[in-house]
Amino acid sequence: MIRFLAISLFIVLVTAGCSLKTTEGLREVTVAQPTISNPYFSNAEVDYVYKAKIALYDKNFGGILIIKKTGSDSHRVVFTTEFGSKLFDFYFEGENFQKNFIIPEMDKKLVVKTLEQDFRLLISEKIQVLEEFDSEAQNIYKTDIGKNFGFYFFEKDSRRLRKIVKASKRKEKVTIDFKIVEENIAQSITLQHENFKLRIELEKFKKE
Amino acid sequence: MRNILFLIFFFSFALSLHSQESILDGAEVAKFKEKVIAEAKKTKTIKADFIQLKHLDFLADDVKTSGKMAYKSPNLVKWEYTNPYKYSVIFKEDQLLINHGGTKSKVDIGSSKLFQKLNELIVNSVRGNMFSDADFEISFFESPQFYKAVFIPKDKKLVEYIASFELFFNKENAQVFEVKMVEPSKDFTQIIFKNRQLNVPIDDSVFSN
Repeated sequence: MIRFLAISLFIVLVTAGCSLKTTEGLREVTVAQPTISNPYFSNAEVDYVYKAKIALYDKNFGGILIIKKTGSDSHRVVFTTEFGSKLFDFYFEGENFQKNFIIPEMDKKLVVKTLEQDFRLLISEKIQVLEEFDSEAQNIYKTDIGKNFGFYFFEKDSRRLRKIVKASKRKEKVTIDFKIVEENIAQSITLQHENFKLRIELEKFKKE
Repeated sequence: MRNILFLIFFFSFALSLHSQESILDGAEVAKFKEKVIAEAKKTKTIKADFIQLKHLDFLADDVKTSGKMAYKSPNLVKWEYTNPYKYSVIFKEDQLLINHGGTKSKVDIGSSKLFQKLNELIVNSVRGNMFSDADFEISFFESPQFYKAVFIPKDKKLVEYIASFELFFNKENAQVFEVKMVEPSKDFTQIIFKNRQLNVPIDDSVFSN
């Protein structure tokens, strides 16, 4: 009886301490895979071009988002208006980040930092796994993102990356959903901030 | 010696290929401007299809979008992208009326001088009539196929966005058939007009969201 109580108490404490919704109901398993990879922006042959809809609080913006893998560990991320004028042009290489261009209206520390972190989360390819979890249909891999963690949800059947959640110890911060995937290219993506109202919707340009 | 002669010959040949585009002299410029202004004056409406190509040096292919453009004198313009997505912008007085696949919004550009300038450029370039603009250094070129006017902004702020703005005119009728916007990075946007219809009636309702 005492042993049962102790176990119950232990379970209550563990679940209370682990307040992230993301990992609720998941079973921790031993790490079977030391690294995982995000395949969606990993082909240097492909021009990844998306129509973007951005909702920031009550404001709506649109434009064209262009992502290109330019080297083994580097990406260009360019955002233009529908008319083609550049709003920003970023270069990521490993841990490094370079701002090639940004319009003065957007060139605020917080804006640039948010964009940098969001796009880094979106394009990061090879990621080291800290912990692994399991649900009926998915394998979930916990990774290290600076002060935060990443949770990568892979479908067991298709081995397809479905979702990335960025969270602190207690709170979800950003969720990226890869909604439709065809031929290893994410056709429809949403990136949602959980702690303030920013939502980015991406629709891949259709081939003619 | 023979090699040098050959080289000189080769380079002058290469140069002559490039110099198919020649700069217009004063008298030619006056004549060309007159033609464009006369054409713009009799232009009440324009309807055209367009293809937009965004060139970025690191991409394999230009980013291509296309749609329809409508212009009504003196200053109503509608850009309607239909492929690969639906998005339209109406330039109306100090406002942009945007329809983003059904989501409608308004942008006040009265407060932004830069936006006003860009708006003016777009409206005037559709008509081809922007030679009186004191904000640009303008030079004129000619090739067997077209006239070209190159606009370089004098405003320091505008230069951060646009290195130059180029309009290509049909030699026969002095109508704009291509607009090219070159960025300081040398990346550029090209808009090519097709199926241009002049002075067909366009209802005002086309220019409301």
